[in-house]
Amino acid sequence: MLSFLGRSVIQKTITLFFVSVVSFLIIHLAPGEPSQIDPLNPKFTPEIVERMRKEFHLDRPLHIQYLLFYRDLFTGKTVSWRDNLPVLGKIWDRFLNSLPLFIVGTLLTWTFSFPVGIRSAIQRDGPYDKSMTFLAYLLISIPGFFFAYILIILVVTELHVPVIGMESFGVTSESKIVQIMDRIWHLVLPSFLGATGGIAVLSRYVRSQMLEIIGQDYVRTARAKGLAPERVYYHHALRNALLPFVTMFGLILPGLIGGSVIIESIFSWPGMGRMAYEAILARDYPVILTLNFITAVLVLLGTLISDLLYMLVDPRIRL
Amino acid sequence: METRPNHAQETIVDDAYMPPSLSPWRETWRLLRQNSMALIGLVIFMFFFGIALTGMLLTSGDAPILDPAQIRLQEKLRPPLARPNLETLQPAEVPELGIYLLGTDDLGRDVFARMLQGAWVSLTVGFVAVAIAVAIGIFLGGLSGYYGQEYIQVIQIVMVLIAGVALWLAATHAWPGAVFLAIGGAAGWLLYRRYAGGSKKSATPDALRWLSRPIMSVDTLIMRLVDIMLCFPSFFLILTVVALLPPSLYNIMVVIGLTSWMGTTRFVRAEFLSLREQDFVAAARALGISDMRIIFRHIMPNAVAPVLVSATLGIASAMLTEAGLSFLGFGVPPPHATWGNILSDGKDFIFDAPWLTFAPGIVILVVVLAFNLFGEGLRDILNPKLRKRT
Amino acid sequence: MIGIIMNIRRFLIAAPAIITVILLLSYFWVPTYEDQTRGNPDRLKQYLTATIGDATILNPILSADSASSQIEGLVFEGLIDRNEDLSFRGRVAHSWRIYEHAYFFLREQAPTARWGQVDAGSLVARLKEAMTGPDWEHVKAIDLIASKTIPQNITLSEDGIEHTIAVQIQTPAQIRLTLDKVDQLLFEKLAPLLGKDYFADFNPADYVHAQSDIESSRLTALAGQVLSPTTHNPIIEFYLRPGVMFHDGQPVTAEDVQFTYQSIVNPKNLSPRIPDYEPVQSVEVVDPLTVRIIYKRLYSPALGTWAMGILPKHLLDAQALEAEARKRGQAPETFTMRQSTFSRHPIGSGPFKFGEWRSDQYIRLNRFDGYWEGPPNYQQYVMRIIPDPLTQEMEFYAGTIDDYSVLPHQVARLKQDERFQSFSGTAFGYSYIGYNSRRPPFDDPRVRRALGMAIDKHKIMEYVLYGQAEPITGPFVKQTDYYNHAIAPLPYDPEAAVDLLAEAGWVRGKDGFLQKEGRRLAFTLITNNGNPIRKAILAIAQDAWKKIGIQVETDLLEWSVFIQKRVNQLDFDAVVLAWSMGIEPDLFQIWHSSQSNPFQLNFVGFRNAEADDLILKIRREYDHPTQVAYSHRLHEIIADEQPYTFLFVNRWTALLDRRIVRQLTAADGSVVYKLIEPTKLGTYTFNFNQWIKLPQAPALAP
Repeated sequence: MLSFLGRSVIQKTITLFFVSVVSFLIIHLAPGEPSQIDPLNPKFTPEIVERMRKEFHLDRPLHIQYLLFYRDLFTGKTVSWRDNLPVLGKIWDRFLNSLPLFIVGTLLTWTFSFPVGIRSAIQRDGPYDKSMTFLAYLLISIPGFFFAYILIILVVTELHVPVIGMESFGVTSESKIVQIMDRIWHLVLPSFLGATGGIAVLSRYVRSQMLEIIGQDYVRTARAKGLAPERVYYHHALRNALLPFVTMFGLILPGLIGGSVIIESIFSWPGMGRMAYEAILARDYPVILTLNFITAVLVLLGTLISDLLYMLVDPRIRL
Repeated sequence: METRPNHAQETIVDDAYMPPSLSPWRETWRLLRQNSMALIGLVIFMFFFGIALTGMLLTSGDAPILDPAQIRLQEKLRPPLARPNLETLQPAEVPELGIYLLGTDDLGRDVFARMLQGAWVSLTVGFVAVAIAVAIGIFLGGLSGYYGQEYIQVIQIVMVLIAGVALWLAATHAWPGAVFLAIGGAAGWLLYRRYAGGSKKSATPDALRWLSRPIMSVDTLIMRLVDIMLCFPSFFLILTVVALLPPSLYNIMVVIGLTSWMGTTRFVRAEFLSLREQDFVAAARALGISDMRIIFRHIMPNAVAPVLVSATLGIASAMLTEAGLSFLGFGVPPPHATWGNILSDGKDFIFDAPWLTFAPGIVILVVVLAFNLFGEGLRDILNPKLRKRT
Repeated sequence: MIGIIMNIRRFLIAAPAIITVILLLSYFWVPTYEDQTRGNPDRLKQYLTATIGDATILNPILSADSASSQIEGLVFEGLIDRNEDLSFRGRVAHSWRIYEHAYFFLREQAPTARWGQVDAGSLVARLKEAMTGPDWEHVKAIDLIASKTIPQNITLSEDGIEHTIAVQIQTPAQIRLTLDKVDQLLFEKLAPLLGKDYFADFNPADYVHAQSDIESSRLTALAGQVLSPTTHNPIIEFYLRPGVMFHDGQPVTAEDVQFTYQSIVNPKNLSPRIPDYEPVQSVEVVDPLTVRIIYKRLYSPALGTWAMGILPKHLLDAQALEAEARKRGQAPETFTMRQSTFSRHPIGSGPFKFGEWRSDQYIRLNRFDGYWEGPPNYQQYVMRIIPDPLTQEMEFYAGTIDDYSVLPHQVARLKQDERFQSFSGTAFGYSYIGYNSRRPPFDDPRVRRALGMAIDKHKIMEYVLYGQAEPITGPFVKQTDYYNHAIAPLPYDPEAAVDLLAEAGWVRGKDGFLQKEGRRLAFTLITNNGNPIRKAILAIAQDAWKKIGIQVETDLLEWSVFIQKRVNQLDFDAVVLAWSMGIEPDLFQIWHSSQSNPFQLNFVGFRNAEADDLILKIRREYDHPTQVAYSHRLHEIIADEQPYTFLFVNRWTALLDRRIVRQLTAADGSVVYKLIEPTKLGTYTFNFNQWIKLPQAPALAP
């Protein structure tokens, strides 16, 4: 157990190093420079541009820039080139904004997928299964922004309530409960849109897991013994079918820092995805690289956690 | 796999493992017919494929029958089924159909013609991107699954590095250095083979022994590569690369392809790992059949099912990715019309000309849905474990 | 057992049901748009606007984006700004005076044209006698400045290597003329008195002595740098309004003006506005309410640069920054204004004071009751950040944004709408197709003209921009008087274009394409992606040129690739681009031939000797009518040469809720309402401080 842990930590650190090198190279070797160095602004003389590049260390060799960047990152000194704010602080603010979306989205995904998937598996090829399959695929087949616009226009014109932003504008003075409910309302559409893909994929996965287990000999034996179908499905089969999902908890982790640019832009949600997108457009290297680094850490941590969880729940696995 | 093998030996092997009754393709077809949703998906897909093909024929060339690029500014934002205003149009500008089936866009271009042209481009984006991903996936997955236990030695890494540097020098036109490195590297390799590379380990001089030390297995290397790629959130990776590179149809296809091969690699590897331990592979090996032949004739056909499923679903998601990129302004640049960029161009006019949004939106929805349903049906059919017992 | 199973089942069904119910229940708590707008009396005292992108840094000397400058415009205030007619009016300064010190060196040995060999003292006396009459009415004083010796270290950069040379400068006696009006022709007018070559023959090297050995040619070059025979020193004196306060209660003084200047030119701050202030020699504090700005040379756009917001010295000077750095535990040496929290909580002297900034959500400003002109009517100004234009539009319809910049295709529909009032005006900038005149066939003005004539610009304006554009013929802002309205726009005439091309040697070949000496007329037209209008222009130009037999490829490139790899490297045939202009007629960077190297803005390579001369003269001319005359001539030359095909200048249209009006207090104390009107400045927000929203739309005659 411990040796497994040690080995994977070392392995993942090496992977992390390569990720950092690769992302650094992608960013720096691509054409284009930070938007602070806007060459077509008549106000920017070549001297200013030169001084800006110096300020950002862009005149140093790549490996030096790499070391400087990661030195700053680990000492927490990285600042965004765009507005000189500390990058970690910026990311933390955005993280707090994205967190409710993530939580509600995940809740929706996980609570809906299981009942739908299980029932589909039990009533395999029945009308319920078929309509759910169809619905699931319908939801993931709509281009996200198209769907979002249709929903917003519907809600705004039919219900006359605001849907964009994190809260209705100007409700700050109202009572606490109104504020909370208002915030929840603003979560409904974006988190639903964010969860559609997850619900579709996960419910299909639950269904196929269940089917596989239901096809196993012991389940058929149990059924043959005359046990109530409910009992067989929800007791014997479900427990075993759930096993792989335990490991998926680890894989949720990277979602914490992800976020959909498209949904966040449309809903004016000041979240992580939009910040990353704007950073890419402005070539704000410190923000892009820091975000990438944190994501990589979370991905690797997530896989580690899921391996460990797997070991815990499945006694057959000994790594 | 109906081709008749040449070798008598193989005939025996093959026949022994043939299913007794129907050929696998027939069997699949039979199952497909039972799965109505997958069948509908397939039919819709074939239908759109046909439309895309005729669309390409009708809209390309120097004097296309339906010209998607014909600008008629005086006819902008006409609703669907509107008749062209013949007085204001020059003869060359009159639409061939005599009617704007899906209306016109903000430049007075016929949306129907643009959708037809876009059909082919959109399908190409999906197919090429997925083909790239699947090719990389099968190659790396197969390598990792079949040869995974082979070890990479220090010398091999050194040789790859030398070759890399030589190529880099050649690319920067530093010919003397490149030639020197290439000759030096080749000589070194030959010397190494002469003195150390032989089967007799004991004969290796101590000084050179470190060169033949194994570092990691092929499997580890490829799986770590997959891990590295998975550390990048895929849409952002695509977005970053597309935003930084000059936009072009090819870049987008290649970038989507290069960032989505990891899944295929993983399960091709898993399939290979389990298949290479199976008896029929062991038998084939015992008969002295070459590795390549084992891989391509015996293992691959059995591993192809999940690849096919993920490819179908992959095409669907590639088309959606393209639409998403278009929304952010990084989609396929003109003159190529794609459903994605027609849709995102149309959204500015959603109150003034809703058909510009709804026509491509609904078409994307239907086609992507068709792919997804077909892929899902295929998964059910090709997975024997999930097959219904009849 | 059964119980557990039922529980599992129940849980599986209950969990999503509960979540759905909670989520949907929240609907009943949300205020509707009606509650937010109609039912909320506070809403009338609040002005809401929206931008696509967040502000970056709220410090007027550092920011370079439009969202930031929109906020800075309300929080900070400059010495002056422009009024409805584009002339200057006092803000923090109530008045100003522009005068000039002009210097020239005496050449003791050289005889003057009128008086022959005279000594310094008598020359001054003679000049005083001669300088009477209308030609010299602006000369107020003539003084003699005795010669002096200045030791100096000069850093000379040669092929990128910097040498420091110690020199001794023995300046000859100088005559200083004080004029109450800047006159760029002063020294030319002196020629009849002193002799034509009196200034030209001045040899600076005679007065500069190097301490170390140095080649004579280099010494000459160096001396030319430090001693110029004649010098114009225009001077602006600003008289500040007494009693103007920063939002923290400190008075705005001349010290703050001087500090603002010093901060801009301080290289540590990396201010993008350095070039505007480079001609400043020094800024002197005469008394707490008088500041004197001395310029190194004639630079007529100078006055306009003092619209720059004034920074509070007491919050940002070296001590304040050091204290802040220590407080935040950062190294004081590297801590600059850029890192200061001031940029997130600005304090200025404008009509609104900073309230709150939530990144990517909104910036809220509160009115400043101590504003010298009286506080604005609105209590609050809120800039919401809504990145998607479509959602912005919907929020405007719903009434949670007060203004909306209408897209061209919506103008016709929304101008009719009863709920809104609309404003339109001409924008400050123009779109064009620029031709790389270094490359054939664009080196021939006839080809450029023909290409322009082949494009139906009216069609573009009418259909691509839905009539929201106007023709433009040259590089000046159309609503200023620098623009020469006598120049006719290039006609749309494809046949004449074909003739003109034939004249230039391009005739139609068998394949239908124009050819000259066996070469086809073919080129690539490029622009950046992400701009639908440029994309449409690309398609229309390609189509129009194809019709007259020109083979045109088009390409859309990502902005930074487009600029850095193509435009900056001069690697293009033709580009579609747009300039956004300032009011000043300074065309140096975009049109002067010295600015046509890679990475400079005259990337089309326009060169014309007369134009170069005029560009410099316009920069130096302080007299408005003369400047206008020069500009009209320059406009004419550029229209003749057609280095660009000038396509159009956009018209902007903005919508406001009809209930927003100007509220004025008349002399007798009664309240008067007036309609809002757009001004030449290209905005309708000129009188923003007087705006207020009424519960009901008033019936006011326009």
